[in-house]
Amino acid sequence: MRLSIYRFNPETDLKPRMQDYELAPEAGDKKLLDALMRLKTIDDSLSFRRSCREGVCGSDAMNINGRNGLACLTPLVGLKEPVVLRPLPGFPVIRDLIVDMTQFFAHYHSIKPYLINDTVPPERERLQSPAEREKLNGLYECILCACCSSFCPSFWWNPDKFIGPAGLLQAYRFISDSRDTATAERLAYLDDVYRLFRCRTIMNCTEVCPKGLSPSHAIERIRQALVRESS
Amino acid sequence: MRARVEAAPKFLNLLQIRFPIGAIASIGHRISGVLLVLSLPLLALALDRSLHSEAEFAVLRDLVSAPWRAVLLALLVWAATHHLLAGIRHLLMDVGIGSGLSQARTSAWAAIVAAAIVALIAAARWLA
Ligand code: SF4
Ligand code: SF4
Ligand code: FES
Repeated sequence: MRLSIYRFNPETDLKPRMQDYELAPEAGDKKLLDALMRLKTIDDSLSFRRSCREGVCGSDAMNINGRNGLACLTPLVGLKEPVVLRPLPGFPVIRDLIVDMTQFFAHYHSIKPYLINDTVPPERERLQSPAEREKLNGLYECILCACCSSFCPSFWWNPDKFIGPAGLLQAYRFISDSRDTATAERLAYLDDVYRLFRCRTIMNCTEVCPKGLSPSHAIERIRQALVRESS
Repeated sequence: MRARVEAAPKFLNLLQIRFPIGAIASIGHRISGVLLVLSLPLLALALDRSLHSEAEFAVLRDLVSAPWRAVLLALLVWAATHHLLAGIRHLLMDVGIGSGLSQARTSAWAAIVAAAIVALIAAARWLA
């Protein structure tokens, strides 16, 4: 198979370049990540992140033939050749396919991604009814891979001010949690022309989420909650 | 380290990114909006002139009947139609109607195709 991969080494390169590779995948190579690992045995200077190799850790997000996805969840079968691999769009490149996610995680931390509840904890645990627990489905599964935020035009133009789809999905995850008591503060924080309202419902986020989640839907629900709050 | 981070390149070549159909409808909405704003003064001027006298109306009519101007007008018809349809789509989605991924894809296609058809019809009529 043929690949064309974005290369940049900050120590030796002034500019990124594309490098072509020829590779013969072997029998067990099913996913794009398998091919990349094999490539690494030929050219060990090629850099990318990976860990779980099964769509759980969120570290091998990249731009695959123009679309963001996880290499480990992308089947080799059906990939158009040459397979063009570039780092996540709009993120500063550290080296090759590795990007700097500092800002992405800063947005994530800004929404306080943890349960806030100042009431005295019960003896054993804070219980939820099955219906309350159900509300977290489609939200808690996010692996913070950044495929969505890095495919969002609003995030490209305002990476410092717009929280982005991943952070907003997480914000909604805690707004929906029946055990969390900070809903009003969370909503007040989001009620901002940049943080939330840069989203233009383009839905690129939902198009590319490798876990099948819908950040645009979460954003819609936050907007609705804000309307309810103010009326 | 710091200097290096500041010099870090970014990949953001829009021509090398494969945009989903919703993004294309949305970019079209922007472009058509700009076209409409830019053309509005000219169109208003043309309307004003054409109402002035029959002679000026005839001059304007001859002006727009040249083929390349028909193409220009068709472009404006496209802009108006696309802007309207994509705008309605956005408004409906903002209140939660058709905001699921498959519906949003369908409505994006519908807006793009419908606006193109209307523009083609307009062009055909002017050229005929
Ligand atoms: S919402 Fe989906 S695409 Fe976005 S970070 Fe979470 S898992 Fe990745
Ligand atoms: S729907 Fe909003 S968050 Fe998702 S890609 Fe579009 S602008 Fe970004
Ligand atoms: S390697 Fe963990 S998500 Fe792909």
